Amino acid sequence: MTAMRRLHISNAGARNAVIAASSVQPPAPPRMGKSGQTATFRRYVAAGEGTLDADLTARLGDDYAQALIDDDPEIAFDVVGRFIDTTQTVLVTEAGEPLFAAPQIVEISYGPDGTELERKEPSETPATVTDALPARWTGRTMPTGEVVRKFAFKRTLQLQHVDGVTFDFLYAMAKELSEGGVMVLLGAGDKGKDPLILQLNGSPYRGFLEGRVDGERYILLLHLSNMELKRPTAKAADGEPS
Amino acid sequence: MAREIVVSFQGTESSFAFKSMDRSALYGRRRRVALDADGTPCARASLLDDGSLLLRSGMTGQGYFLPDGQFLKQSDLEAFDAAGTPLDKVPSTIGVAQELHGPVSPTEVLDMRLESIYALESDGMDPALKNELDSGSIFRFDFNFREDYRAETAFLVANDNGAFALVGVPVTHEWSSFDLAVELPADETDSDDDDLDFDF
Repeated sequence: MTAMRRLHISNAGARNAVIAASSVQPPAPPRMGKSGQTATFRRYVAAGEGTLDADLTARLGDDYAQALIDDDPEIAFDVVGRFIDTTQTVLVTEAGEPLFAAPQIVEISYGPDGTELERKEPSETPATVTDALPARWTGRTMPTGEVVRKFAFKRTLQLQHVDGVTFDFLYAMAKELSEGGVMVLLGAGDKGKDPLILQLNGSPYRGFLEGRVDGERYILLLHLSNMELKRPTAKAADGEPS
Repeated sequence: MAREIVVSFQGTESSFAFKSMDRSALYGRRRRVALDADGTPCARASLLDDGSLLLRSGMTGQGYFLPDGQFLKQSDLEAFDAAGTPLDKVPSTIGVAQELHGPVSPTEVLDMRLESIYALESDGMDPALKNELDSGSIFRFDFNFREDYRAETAFLVANDNGAFALVGVPVTHEWSSFDLAVELPADETDSDDDDLDFDF
C-alpha cells in the first residue's frame, strides 16, 4: 500500500471521525533482467540539439540520406546515451524556444466524440471531503453484485482505524455492510448529494463503501468510480488497452 | 479476421468482438493548455538537472540497462518473480478459448486492480451463458492481450447496457485488528491521479 492519507467520514448515525486511508496497490510486476541480473528501466538522451529530422531537413534538405552515410550529422556524440535522472519541466513555443513569460492557461472541454465544446479560463474545484467536511453515509445501499455490474472502480482506498474509538467506529460499519451483503453510497456536502472530491481540482467520484469482518477483524474499502459500465456513444479504439 | 475474446462455458464457446472503453469516450474530457503570447499552444520540454540540454519531444529513448550500463534489447530480456525464479512468457489469449470459472462472488471483482474495460459484442452468445449473465452471474477467465510475462484476470459481467470484460490484476487486503492502529497522517497527502489533464 502507498502512503496514508487522512479521510473524514461519517456513519449512519452522522457521527464522524478522521481516520487513515491508503490506496490499494497491485503486486509488483515481474523483474526484468538477464542471466539473473536485474535490469533497470531508464530514460536516456537519444538525440542532441539540432539532430532531429526537422533540424536535419532544414540544414541538409529533404534528401539527406547520403549525408548520413558520409558523416554522422544525426548523432550528438557529446550527449547521446547519457542517462536522464531529474529534470525540470520547461514550456516551449511551437518553434521550440523556451517560454520566458508566464503562459495563458485555458481549459478546453471535449465531448465524447472528441469535438471541442468549450474554452474558458480554468477555475479551481475545491475538495468536497476535508478535515471539516466528511464523506457522508447516505444510507443508499445496493447489493454488491449490482454495484460491480454497474460501475467501474479504478481506485480503492482501504480505511483503517487510528485508535480504539475509531476501531469501533469502522468495525461497526464493516459489520453492518458485510451482514447485509451490500455497499453503501458515500456522498459529500451537507446532504451527502455531492460527489467525493478528495483534493483541490481532484476527480469527482462516486464512492461505495464495502465491509468485511472476520471475528474481531475487519476490512473496510472505499471503492471510487468515475465511470459507469455502459457503451460509449463515440467509436472507441479497437482492441488496445486504454 | 477480427480479434475476438473467446470463452468456453460448460463446453460451449462464445466469441466476442471487443472495444476498449475509457471515461472520455462516455463523458468527454477536460484539459488545460498553456498558450504563448501569440495564443499558440505550448509544448512541454525537459531541462536536464545541470541545465546543459533542453530535451524536446523525440530526443529521448528508454530501455532496460544492466548494472554495468549494458543496454538490453527487447529480445534479450528475461523476467523473474520476486523470489528470483525465471518466468516463462504467457501467450496472448486473444482468439483462444478460455474456460469460464464461476459464477464467482462479486467481491472477487472488487479484489482486482482494474486496468482495462472492454465492451463486448457477440452475434451468437451461448444461450445458457446469456441466461446466466442476464441473471447477474459473474464469471472469471484468464486474459492476456499480448504475449508477456504476466497474465491478467478478467471478469465477464453484463447489465442493461450489454456485456463487458473487466481486466486487471488481483490484489489482497490486510485485515485490520484492534491492536494494529495506524498513525494518523499529519497532513493531507496529494494523490497521484487526477482526470483533469494538464496538457502543457
